Amino acid sequence: MSAQDGVEARNARKVYGTGQEKVVALDNVSIVIKRGEFFTLLGPSGCGKTTLLRLIAGFETPTSGTILLDGTDITYDPPNKRPVNTVFQSYALFPHLTVAQNIGFGLEMRGHAKAEVDSTVEEMLALVRMESMADRKPTQLSGGQQQRVALARALAPQPKVLLLDEPLSALDLKLRKEMQSELKRLQLETGITFIFVTHDQEEALTMSDRIGVMKSGSLLQVGSPREIYTRPADRFVASFIGETNFLTGVLGKDAITLDAGGTLPLGASTQAKSGSKVTASIRPEQIRVIETDAPGSLPATVTESVYFGTDSHCHFALADGTEVVVRLQSPASGDVGLSRGQNVFLRFEPGALMVLEDQA
Amino acid sequence: MSTDSDRLERQRNRNGWLLSTPALVLLAFGATGPLLIMFVYSFLEPGKYGNVIWEFSTKAWFNVFVQRDIFDGTLSPADAHLTILWRSVKLSLMTTIFTFIVGFPTAWFIATRPPRMRTLLLFLITIPFWTNLLIRTFAINQIIRNEGLLNTLLLKLGIINEPLLIIYSDFAVFIGMTYVYLPLMVLPLFASIDRFDMRLVEAGYDLYASRWQVLKRVIVPIVKPGIISGSILVFIPSLGAYVTPRILGGGRNMMIGNFIELQFGQGRNWPLGAALSVILLLIVAVALVVYVRFANRGDSNV
Ligand SMILES: Nc1ncnc2c1ncn2[C@@H]1O[C@H](COP(=O)(O)OP(=O)(O)OP(=O)(O)O)[C@@H](O)[C@H]1O
Ligand SMILES: [Mg+2]
Repeated sequence: MSAQDGVEARNARKVYGTGQEKVVALDNVSIVIKRGEFFTLLGPSGCGKTTLLRLIAGFETPTSGTILLDGTDITYDPPNKRPVNTVFQSYALFPHLTVAQNIGFGLEMRGHAKAEVDSTVEEMLALVRMESMADRKPTQLSGGQQQRVALARALAPQPKVLLLDEPLSALDLKLRKEMQSELKRLQLETGITFIFVTHDQEEALTMSDRIGVMKSGSLLQVGSPREIYTRPADRFVASFIGETNFLTGVLGKDAITLDAGGTLPLGASTQAKSGSKVTASIRPEQIRVIETDAPGSLPATVTESVYFGTDSHCHFALADGTEVVVRLQSPASGDVGLSRGQNVFLRFEPGALMVLEDQA
Repeated sequence: MSTDSDRLERQRNRNGWLLSTPALVLLAFGATGPLLIMFVYSFLEPGKYGNVIWEFSTKAWFNVFVQRDIFDGTLSPADAHLTILWRSVKLSLMTTIFTFIVGFPTAWFIATRPPRMRTLLLFLITIPFWTNLLIRTFAINQIIRNEGLLNTLLLKLGIINEPLLIIYSDFAVFIGMTYVYLPLMVLPLFASIDRFDMRLVEAGYDLYASRWQVLKRVIVPIVKPGIISGSILVFIPSLGAYVTPRILGGGRNMMIGNFIELQFGQGRNWPLGAALSVILLLIVAVALVVYVRFANRGDSNV
């Protein structure tokens, strides 16, 4: 496997419209997605996720920049000439064809023999567990079943890359969980590169090998779920992936003196200059509530407690009024034993406090 | 409980039928009445000055297909009738096919415009309906006649040396009918293309179909209802066309509509006209059945 294997976008820029109505949907995005990877694009609505997928699929050509597949420039190849298939958000199944015909469509268009098409269709039906529905029309299927057919249809021609644009967003929670593991299984079984788009950060964290976080046309950070979660590059990434608390302070040597009082050690070294004003983040589950003062803890007042089932989110106010959220495991009774106005201490797990590199 | 609601349901149905009686009566008389009259008339004797004599006869039907020589009384196939029938079918088919070829891209173009533009274009398509058919046909006549707009222009530009002889030919009738019936093709096509999910085109391309394959395997099968109703809406009135062949075909290039009119008018042979009318109806019925069968053939095994 050479370094160039996989999908690459080089300075891909896409501008829709002209003059007043000009929209920069993608702003010089460069990224390498390795072969066999489960890569997720994550970002708020309108940040350009679909646009990037459409450039890779060939439905749009970039205003500038190039798209490469295994080192070959495919920027101007039409979609029917690219070994890339898409699972559309709306599924876009052919309503006049049966499930089996839908799945066989790609192979047939590629000119494969009928026997070969039939056997691959069988295989695909088994892969997505839809054998019993081969002769139905798409309108006779439930949302989850249509989803599976769309998946099988896109996988049947054995593309090098599969693009999935929010394929699960139309499903209810239970089905979505089921399909998540199904997708992961299919990706492992087929070894095909998956580029997956989602709004849902939890989905991104559980399924991906790597995640690219986007905002208004740019890639902010690319990394493994763990990297993205524990070392977010900036405030936006930190707040978009999971809940987080932001604390401001002045940077010292391997420690930060918070505006709320107290000096706490830092988890990892930072490029920010000693003595500068910085923002640090800490996740709600990395804070403990204790009754008595201890080194490395801050006094706080309970302002609110919200019950979430398996856990509760307690809101606290620090000395200077900064709000901090702490996640607490719910005990059997469901009552975490904290009442509004109660004065406690918050102990930050050593090394959990991260200075955000990008202070913009 | 369930029997109660059943009774209520039944009563509601009965009331529904009762309320629709006027419409049904009108439909029964309006649709089948004239047909019945034509059918009966075709088995009667012609009166001397038109009308019919109430005497059973199969002469009209006999005359549709066979003619007796006035001098020696020998029988031969009624060539004139068959020629006219064939011309009618041929011109109607050509018109249907050509309006489809022109109408499909037009409808596609309209359906893919932004909503405001689309409304405007649809409005433009319907404008010809505001004018009487006769006047529209005369307008075409003015364009294609020997000293008409087209020939004058081409002569002035030096593209041709003598006027093109278009008027009073089958071709002129074909042009006229295409012009007149084009909106009837475009509108139903537009309706079904408008409902067509454009993402399916992308799905087709994505799955390695060429442009032509996307058209043939995805678009056409899905917008087929529009193609069927457009074709029917064009074919049926073309087959019975009267005004257009009369004005653009001159006296010689009659279609069956003109010929039927002739029997009821100067020909004073109402039974023959009636028999020809029934034949016209039969052609339409057969064409419809064959066409719809043919069009639906692909459904089960694409
Ligand atoms: N065909 C188009 N014409 C004009 N602007 C467009 C077009 N397609 C997308 N845009 C704009 O480009 C930007 C990026 O759109 P894109 O569809 O890539 O976002 P997205 O990240 O997929 O959003 P979502 O999560 O809502 O699907 C948006 O501001 C959108 O309005
Ligand atoms: Mg999108």
